[in-house]
Amino acid sequence: MLTLAILIPMLGALALVLSPGLGHEKARWLSIGASVLSFACLIIVWALFRIGEEAPAFQSVAEVPWIPSLGVAWRVGVDGMSLALSLMSGVLFIACIAWPMEHPDRPIAYYAWFLFLESVSLGLFLVLDLLLFYVFFDLSLVGMFFLIGRWGHDGAERAALKFFIYTLAGSLAILLAIIGLVLSVDPITFDMRTLIAAQPLAGMDLRGGLILLGFMVGFAVKTPLFPVHTWLPPAHVMAPGPVSAILAGVLLKMGTYGMVRIPLQMLRESFAAYAFPIALFALASILWGAVVALGQTNLKRRIAYTSVNHMGYTVLGIAAAGAMLAGAENARSLALTGAVVEMVAHGLITGALFLIAGGFWARSQTYDLDAFGGLAGVAPKLTVAAVIAAFASLGLPGLAGFVAEVQIFVGAFAVFPVIAAIGLLGILITAALFLRLLQQVFFGDLPTARKGFPDLSRREGAILSVLLFLVVLIGIYPRWLLDLIGSATRAIVGGS
Amino acid sequence: MLWLIPLLPIVTGAVIAAMGDRSRRWLGTVAVMVLGATLCLTLLAAAQGWTATLIWSDAIRLSAELTPLSAAIALMVPTVALAVVFHATQHESPQGIGRLTGLMILFTGGMQLVVVAGDLLTLLIGWELIGACSWALIAHKWRAIENPRSGLYAFVVTRFGDLGLFAAAIALFAGTGSFDYAGIATLSGPLSFIVAYGILLSAASKAGQVPFAPWLFRAMAGPSSVSALLHAATLVAAGAYIIALLHPSLSVVPGWQATTIAIGLTTALAGGVTGVLQNHAKRLLAASTSAQMGFMFVAIGAGYPGVAALHLIVHATFKAPLFLVAGAAGDATGSYRLDRMRLGRIMPLIAGLAVIAAAGLAGLPLTGGGWSKEEIVKAAEHADFWLSIGVMIGGALSAAYATRFVLLAFGRRSEDDRDIAAPGWAETAGIAGLGALTLATGLLWVSPLSDALAAATGFTLPEGSTLGLVLSLICVAVGVASGIYVVRHNPALGRTGAAAAASDWLGLPTLITRGVVLPFDALARAAARFDDDILDAGPRSVAALARRGSMAIAAMDNQVVDKGVRATAAFGDWLARVADRFGEALSDGIPEGTAGITGMLGREARRLQSGLSHHYYAYIVCGIFAVVAILAAGA
Repeated sequence: MLTLAILIPMLGALALVLSPGLGHEKARWLSIGASVLSFACLIIVWALFRIGEEAPAFQSVAEVPWIPSLGVAWRVGVDGMSLALSLMSGVLFIACIAWPMEHPDRPIAYYAWFLFLESVSLGLFLVLDLLLFYVFFDLSLVGMFFLIGRWGHDGAERAALKFFIYTLAGSLAILLAIIGLVLSVDPITFDMRTLIAAQPLAGMDLRGGLILLGFMVGFAVKTPLFPVHTWLPPAHVMAPGPVSAILAGVLLKMGTYGMVRIPLQMLRESFAAYAFPIALFALASILWGAVVALGQTNLKRRIAYTSVNHMGYTVLGIAAAGAMLAGAENARSLALTGAVVEMVAHGLITGALFLIAGGFWARSQTYDLDAFGGLAGVAPKLTVAAVIAAFASLGLPGLAGFVAEVQIFVGAFAVFPVIAAIGLLGILITAALFLRLLQQVFFGDLPTARKGFPDLSRREGAILSVLLFLVVLIGIYPRWLLDLIGSATRAIVGGS
Repeated sequence: MLWLIPLLPIVTGAVIAAMGDRSRRWLGTVAVMVLGATLCLTLLAAAQGWTATLIWSDAIRLSAELTPLSAAIALMVPTVALAVVFHATQHESPQGIGRLTGLMILFTGGMQLVVVAGDLLTLLIGWELIGACSWALIAHKWRAIENPRSGLYAFVVTRFGDLGLFAAAIALFAGTGSFDYAGIATLSGPLSFIVAYGILLSAASKAGQVPFAPWLFRAMAGPSSVSALLHAATLVAAGAYIIALLHPSLSVVPGWQATTIAIGLTTALAGGVTGVLQNHAKRLLAASTSAQMGFMFVAIGAGYPGVAALHLIVHATFKAPLFLVAGAAGDATGSYRLDRMRLGRIMPLIAGLAVIAAAGLAGLPLTGGGWSKEEIVKAAEHADFWLSIGVMIGGALSAAYATRFVLLAFGRRSEDDRDIAAPGWAETAGIAGLGALTLATGLLWVSPLSDALAAATGFTLPEGSTLGLVLSLICVAVGVASGIYVVRHNPALGRTGAAAAASDWLGLPTLITRGVVLPFDALARAAARFDDDILDAGPRSVAALARRGSMAIAAMDNQVVDKGVRATAAFGDWLARVADRFGEALSDGIPEGTAGITGMLGREARRLQSGLSHHYYAYIVCGIFAVVAILAAGA
């Protein structure tokens, strides 16, 4: 079933490439169909997923041997964390594929790349084999590179290249670390479950530290953490809205998901030893991301930097969760649950924000905040959507971001009280920066150039309503999500 | 079931706001129905002792409950909101009135959530929800950019205080594994400090205490009915409410009571002076709100949270109508300048209601406000006699600014030919209802009644000395007299000069702007530049190095490899010429052809130099092989 979820979008992409005569609408519906089918597979997996003490950690597992001598195989399976992330990715992909293209040229290639990216993104969350994980990690870069480079605007090629080279350099560090990790088990295997159970580097200080460093550098670039975040703003600014939404909503999660799955789970001892510096980098990201976002005058750059801030919260939760081998289990699993909820919430919220930002470009070809004002009068629906998304992003209770952040802070406080306390300031700065954004764009006088600014179309409105409905639902009644994620995080923190 | 009390107004408020503008009659009816239903539900809940929980996960649980004190406040909130929101539907400008009504109802629901919360997480949810609503309401007339700016100011300042509540909730969970209020008393050591002072911080910021007081001035950018709701029944009241409710657990923390008293007394005095000097009708009232909340802080610090809660309720009944009459006067004269009002002749009924409410604010005997203020004096006397003197001086200032407000706004001009219409009955009805409530609170002077009320809420009333009462009443009289004196001799006090400067919270907003806001903005801009110029420089220079490196390699490639290719071609030519010269015995065609082919290969190789070096090597190798093969064949 999981294999199908990965395969269907890939087949959809192939079908698109093989039928060049397809019209725009048909291509779009075909890709929506493929992503909905793939999502349906995930829903089935979710329906069959069991939560409880005796339920296995990874479920819906399937395995097909590939290179037995190296211990490589097609292995898929999910725990509560990866299932939650892949479900979120599934929703976001459907939303972004359904969102109108900014420049409707070469639609077939556009949708084909989108489906390709969906396939490899879901693959990354669903596989249980390190080699496949790495392959999907790199393939996601390829898909994103072409989507930004070919459908972006202005200096898109340069931004895409920067993104590609930067994250590729990160992924090379990961490759080296994977090789180092795999070589330290006998017999060699890329099976994540075996590696988690084996803890191959336990007791090896230097080697464990170096391999951890490799993984953390690679994932920190992807997440991105301060100070290796500078590829993010240009990539976002040049990318079309839906591509930005996927970049922020799905691709950034690969970094934090990887951090949990590999360093935290497979290198527990080394991770615990270096958790404090990791938390410091997280804190730097929280504060720096927020402060720099406040200083931006470009709509998309501002949202992009808030991603650095939010991913900082996530990494803080992860660092707190992995800071000890035993003790404070409740607080640490709370921190990790918060971190995973933050990934889901950030995906939905920032996805919605970037789609909205894309709508701004489609309507006015600029992201300059000063070029807007008073839009509440001409575009009330857009205003409401943006206000909800902005408040969700600044962590207002009753919306998804709060559920995540409160758990991260509560959990992290038990482990790193001072860092958690300082990190709270991030909440204040994001409040200021989002309210200023709203004030600048939607209130005050309407510039004459924006007199005919169209409100959300029915399609845009429907897509945003779905995303924001989920944000509100998670904010008010998150139990269904917390139970799912908690089943995984308790096991991870407990060491099984 | 208890969730219904906040949920009903929150959901219906959101729906009403989304439906857009409707007629005043429709909105008024709906508002009265929704808030009336909320009030009935609250009565039912208080009578039957409803509770509620909502499970988020194994670790996190939200809960709601009603204590006697919270039940009293939970009844006050929708009662006052009912009158105020009804007034809003009848009075505020028709553009956006649907949204305004809906948001005010939602706001009331958020406040009910704060009141019924049984744990710090639920409290935090309601706490921030009312903060967000206040942003939307202050920014209501968004077309003038000043209003959203004021909303932002209010939200950010109160959110700064919210961080205290965040910290308190986190520390409580760290200490007890749950957010329940019940756990606060079991804490000890640093955690109990974080919880107690965190809650105090957020209470002080919400209640407009020093140094957060200036946000209440900025909040005046909202419509006057929003101010009435915000100051009387909701946001600001939440600050005093929460420390009154949690007083038993918080007061045991060392220094907490003294800090609370210090904050309260400072604000009461500074707010009193600010109020006396203000020439802006709504700001005068805003300063008075801070000062009155300061009284409540003093009472709580002195160990009488029940007295504070009663003053909170009484204050709500007289402060709401004061804001509404100020709104009526301001809308009638086009500005909130007190020295231009004197509308007593034009709107006598409103003026009468203003006098009733202002008498409460002044703390005159036989008014509800007077009763609860005297109780605070008595409470302060229990802590320290000098403290009660401080409260008395605060009371004198209250009397002065209340007198000044009512005389300037609703005094009578000897001749009045201004073309201003008095508010209609629908606009007056809400104010009149609140005025009736204010009058009813005067019954608190009947001591059996007030003792019974205190007993019902589970608190005792302080005993006071006759000396204190006499002194306090003298202070009130002096205050009223000086209020009259100022109005007679300097009606435009606070419009210009030093008084005007001091009336802006004694310069505190300027200090905040210069000391916090501007430096932080500059920091953000500098950080943004640093991020672009310096942090990105590392990767950029690596990229530049790589580019330069690859160009160097390419140049080397051009020189070395190209030479190789040329040489090969030349070598071929030379060989061909040699073959041509010495191979006359052979058939003419073969050397000619060889020369031609090698020459062509050489040219081809030059043309194919597309920057891919391994191709070059392949071509060289091929070229050499070809030449050798041809020669071998030719030889």
